[in-house]
Amino acid sequence: METNIKSILNNYPEGSADSLIPMLQDIQEHDGFLSKEAVIEVGKYLKMPASKIFGVATFYNQFRFTPLGKNHIQVCRGTACHVLGSATVLEEIEKNIGVKSGQTSRDGIFSLEVVACIGACGLAPVIAINGNFHAKVTGESIKEILENYRNQE
Amino acid sequence: MSKIIEIQIDSKVVKAAEGSNLLQVARDNGFDIPGLCYHKKLTPTGACRLCVVKIDNTPGLIMSCTVPVKEGMKITAFDEELEQNRRHTLSYLLAEHNEEFDDSYEDEIRPLIKRYNLEKPENRPLKPIWQGIPRVVDNTSPVLTYDSSKCIRCFRCIKACDEIQGKGVLSFADRGISKYIVAGFGEWFNSECDGCGECIQLCPTGAIVEKPFRESLKISEIDSKVITTCPYCGVGCQTEIFVKNDTIVRVDGVDDVSPNDGRLCVKGRFGYQYANSKKRLTHPMIKRNGVFEKVSWDEALDFVSSKFSEIKQKYGSKSLAGYSSAKCSNEENYIFQKFIRIAFGNNNVDYCTRLCHASTVTAMLKSFGDGAGSNSIEDFETTDCLLVTGNNIIDTHPITATYVKRGKAAGQKIIVIDPKWTPLVKYADVWLQPKLATDVALLNGLINIIIENGWIDKNFIENRVEGGMQAFESLKELASKYTPEKTEEITGVSKEKLYEAAKIYATAKTAMIATGMGMSQQTVGTNNVFSLINMCLITGQIGKELCGLNPPRGQNNVQGATDVGASPVNYPGYIPVTNEDNRKKVAEIWKVPFESLDPKPGLTTIEIMNAAYDGEIKAMYIMGENPVVTDPDRHHTVEAIKKLDFLVVQDIFETETTEFADVILPAASLYEKDGTVVNSDRRVLRLRKAISAPGEARQDWQICVDIAERMGFKIGSYNSPEDIFAELAKAAPIFGGITFARIEKHGIQWPCYDENHPGTSTLFLEKFNTESGKAKIFPVDYKEQSETPNTNYPLVMNSGRLLYQYHSATMSRKSKVLNAYANEAYIIINPEDAVKLGLKDGDKVKVTSPRGSLETTAKVSDEVLKGETFMPWHFNEAPVNALTRNEIDPMSKIGPFKYSVVRVERV
Repeated sequence: METNIKSILNNYPEGSADSLIPMLQDIQEHDGFLSKEAVIEVGKYLKMPASKIFGVATFYNQFRFTPLGKNHIQVCRGTACHVLGSATVLEEIEKNIGVKSGQTSRDGIFSLEVVACIGACGLAPVIAINGNFHAKVTGESIKEILENYRNQE
Repeated sequence: MSKIIEIQIDSKVVKAAEGSNLLQVARDNGFDIPGLCYHKKLTPTGACRLCVVKIDNTPGLIMSCTVPVKEGMKITAFDEELEQNRRHTLSYLLAEHNEEFDDSYEDEIRPLIKRYNLEKPENRPLKPIWQGIPRVVDNTSPVLTYDSSKCIRCFRCIKACDEIQGKGVLSFADRGISKYIVAGFGEWFNSECDGCGECIQLCPTGAIVEKPFRESLKISEIDSKVITTCPYCGVGCQTEIFVKNDTIVRVDGVDDVSPNDGRLCVKGRFGYQYANSKKRLTHPMIKRNGVFEKVSWDEALDFVSSKFSEIKQKYGSKSLAGYSSAKCSNEENYIFQKFIRIAFGNNNVDYCTRLCHASTVTAMLKSFGDGAGSNSIEDFETTDCLLVTGNNIIDTHPITATYVKRGKAAGQKIIVIDPKWTPLVKYADVWLQPKLATDVALLNGLINIIIENGWIDKNFIENRVEGGMQAFESLKELASKYTPEKTEEITGVSKEKLYEAAKIYATAKTAMIATGMGMSQQTVGTNNVFSLINMCLITGQIGKELCGLNPPRGQNNVQGATDVGASPVNYPGYIPVTNEDNRKKVAEIWKVPFESLDPKPGLTTIEIMNAAYDGEIKAMYIMGENPVVTDPDRHHTVEAIKKLDFLVVQDIFETETTEFADVILPAASLYEKDGTVVNSDRRVLRLRKAISAPGEARQDWQICVDIAERMGFKIGSYNSPEDIFAELAKAAPIFGGITFARIEKHGIQWPCYDENHPGTSTLFLEKFNTESGKAKIFPVDYKEQSETPNTNYPLVMNSGRLLYQYHSATMSRKSKVLNAYANEAYIIINPEDAVKLGLKDGDKVKVTSPRGSLETTAKVSDEVLKGETFMPWHFNEAPVNALTRNEIDPMSKIGPFKYSVVRVERV
């Protein structure tokens, strides 16, 4: 893991505060989340205190600080999905897997993320699990979908 | 100086410096404009919006804290609209603010609530919503608790950490209404925070509060607040001590006073627990049949004086010696040396400076005529270039380091020379990492590059250096041997880095040097400093403002103890004992026959121990020192002490040394006495009694006077330390113009010759203190160590200090807070050596030198070079001085604490 962070940092030879967000995005892309070790490593590289990086990372919704679950759920809360009841879907998912957006369930099977719009308004309300879209989800159908993923364990 | 201009505030004409802060100007002139995010020590933020004013010809309400004043400005500070607006803003803040108040901190928001009549909920235009905002409480730090529900997001803590302390540890996390303060990755204790508490002192609302005494402390019920000098390092920070029931419950920095302007470090703010420790010595004790028994002062003093007299009579006056203390006041050191010279009748008085900056002082006295730091601590911020060599300034002089970090932020160039990584390296433009004990070669190499590139100051050499260009030629010839290639070969530092460092230092408009234990604690310590001085002289980086050489002092009164004569060679004020006129003058002040004063210099610290070992010294009087831990070659020290016929130790705690004493005398700590100390920039600062000494513990000076009297010597009758200081000022011309009255608020830097003399912030501006008034160049060659790594002892051990502990840790280790940060010894080993030795981080190891061995924990890190190791020396369970040797630097008699060959094995 550590060498990977170094190799990501090496892509920013002129590393300055400007490259902080792209760096964090690359790390999250690679690791699925920002670990404490990664943040400290970035801090050393950019000569920035860990708290400044943590501050930037917590400002943006896109960064997470726990590893992704085996199945990563993205719930669209865009306008079309909202109108068609994505709030109920989200509520049901939160209840079902027992975590809020940005978190990972204790058994590590699911992680949850709320996204603004995933560009599939025709399928609203839509969710994506591991990049696979599930269209016109309801508070009822979501239970079955989640159960299917659970059964794959 | 900025132009003085006139502005009008509410029709009153007010004078101010152009460009100064409008809110500050208004407040200085009695306009009490509210404001919570503004603090005069920080850059303006404009976050709380309470300080709004109206400015003629400017639309809208303006936050006065963000406005620089301009000629002719017309300001409205108070009218109904402004007050309405402020009231509304305040109620916005209150809606998000948890108002619980436990009286354990100074709250700035409560007086405003009262002022704007918002105490009753029904008077508030907005309902509270703070319960609905996610509350973050960080309780991980040993020194503070952060509670986001009390935080008004004013930025003061973040800026205190960034701008005042130069640490930049804090930030905001999250966003909008749920924004909160975060250190590190969300946990204060595991962050870069070192616990200085600057953020606590500046927090206006109790969001960051001090942990010690939090449960019991009520600020409104404090018995007294006393301003005194911090008892730890030689920066001399001014502290305000909060006392309740004769116990210290809090320490704050004092604003607007040098040297610290309100700043403190973790030791100064939280290291006070020792004073009220139950382990303090409270009764005199005499050892009988191997057991210490409590006795009365009369019995103890009679016993001590009769034993000293008996030994003096039996073996002659040369058989007695004393260790004075850098942890005691000027007055006490003055009385102690007077005691030795009159009652013992010799000059065998020395103290730990011999183990510290003796070599620096020896070299500086020879070259400059003065051994003290040439600049003021504030100058560390404003000089263009700072060269720090062998000095872990961030850990050992944390407040001086705040000036350095602020300087760096403003563009100062920093050169670090250190064989071991120190936190200052993070701020350095160039870091030279020479092999241990190759400093002379390194500096001669730098001198060579400076000369070859023509970066010398010919004018300075001709006018200010004895022998002018001729003296320079001899240095040039010597330095020519140290070509960059040769220097690289000896020191391991690349030619390129040498060139870079030489260029930055020599060509800087102004440059200062801070030199530390890494340079001085070697058998070539004096030569190291001579080389440094040579570089300083040929570049002319001394003798003008913001230029010079500074040895920051390790203990609260190292500087003062030597200044007032705790020295085997000098009377108070650096007056040599060997000169007959001096003896006559001193004898007159002391009212003793001048023949009774010994004309021969006395023995130094290590010489005293050696003489004890050889049976020549029979009795010792040790005031506030712990030589068993602090002197080199512990085995030898213990043997020497065991051979004494009689040992008296006067201290505040039992120490590793009191164990071997015949009599232990309990003394008052620095929090319990009046008097003065001298800090690293020669500033004479007040000590004031904050609490009473425990049990029957007495003032050190009183004990000395009493013993002398019982030995039949009157060494003076004084009613107070002020009386003693008055006599000292007569004896030592450098203090001539200083009185307690003059230093009531601000210290004065010596020399200060008469009552109209303002003191001296920079030394050597016009002339050096040598006979000719010129500085001297002493060219010195690099010498290899007498002890070098070999098959039996393949590694070299360096030693040093940590931020969180202090010397032999007698004081600091009584503090739970300091122990929470660092309470364990270790040895740092380079990863390559660790692989070779099959060691992992955390392994228990045995470290052996030709003198002895100890057990400790391995810490694998590239902070040290291959072949070198480092140990902190504070911890008695891993006594570094069991490994060091007592070979001394021939000129200064300092011991080589920084270089011992060792072998490291897994236990």
